[in-house]
Amino acid sequence: MTENRGQMTSLKVAGSTVIEPQSASFSPDVSSSSPKLWNFRRVSHTEDSSPYPIPGLAADILHMRVKEGSKIRNLLRFVTARMREDRRDSNSTSLRQVVFTGSGRGLTKTITCVEILKRTVGGLHQVSKLYYKTVNDICENPQQGAPDVTMQRTVPAICILLSKDPLDPQEPGYQPPQTLTVPTEDTERCSAPVRPDLSPPSQNTAKRLCLDEWSICSP
Amino acid sequence: MVENTVEMDPVEYTLRKRLPWKLPKRRNDVYVNMKTDFRAQLARCQKLLEGGGHREICVHGLGLAINRAINIALQLQASSQGALQLAANTSTVELVDDLEPEDPDEAGEPMTRTRNNSAIHIKVFYPDTP
Repeated sequence: MTENRGQMTSLKVAGSTVIEPQSASFSPDVSSSSPKLWNFRRVSHTEDSSPYPIPGLAADILHMRVKEGSKIRNLLRFVTARMREDRRDSNSTSLRQVVFTGSGRGLTKTITCVEILKRTVGGLHQVSKLYYKTVNDICENPQQGAPDVTMQRTVPAICILLSKDPLDPQEPGYQPPQTLTVPTEDTERCSAPVRPDLSPPSQNTAKRLCLDEWSICSP
Repeated sequence: MVENTVEMDPVEYTLRKRLPWKLPKRRNDVYVNMKTDFRAQLARCQKLLEGGGHREICVHGLGLAINRAINIALQLQASSQGALQLAANTSTVELVDDLEPEDPDEAGEPMTRTRNNSAIHIKVFYPDTP
């Protein structure tokens, strides 16, 4: 299973798409009126720690914070080791639930971690919650004597709870454990493709539609 | 045209990505992409909810568009003053790449390679108040 995803340009793009719409509705709080705002160096940033938006969490819960630079292999190795511990132990007080949180650029990675974990450790119930998280960026002013600038940004964040115990199906964002990995949406609806094929010259990236499990490919 | 250099093959391949799903589309399905302007996609969702008379819409995003889909859903919720609720589901989608040899004379046959990508499906709905 390869996880090849071109992320060279995606980092910049993801950053701009996240911040742009925020500035439309939430203006950053800038204390100084210096026009050279973007020469600042970001020193540190703090987040406001709000409680999990998911109700009914157990006390002994593993909280995995997925960031942009996290390595998926490391995270999953840790979690699968913890979740499989209880099979060898005779007590059943080991890990039943795990929470993944991610925000901003680490959002997609959080979801990928959850998906891979669901595949390796099957039978997990899932509840996902989306919310906005405010992040305070403290930027150091390059000019001497000027105060540091604190900028507030709101970034989208996700909080995903995976649990071996059944969860409330009425909860919005609930997903039951699925046994097969292939999503069955496309196999159920076998209608003709909506999009006409583009038939480009060979220079452009060709896009081919695949019908019926890659047996027929329209050129 | 991207050449696949991950394999140590002397034959060079052309990488072509196949389209993911067949995009089954109900009226209230919105598929988010990175090519269309963000505000246009947001306006389209708002039009479906307000003018279209749909009680719920479903916003889908694949790969990099996950961020944008979540952003759109959260913006919709914020602009509705809390009347809308969100329910997010995640899934894995298999994408198939066709690898074709650059030089047709070279001894290489077209191969396919599958990889997985994450997708999100966010239901944006007015909750039924009893």
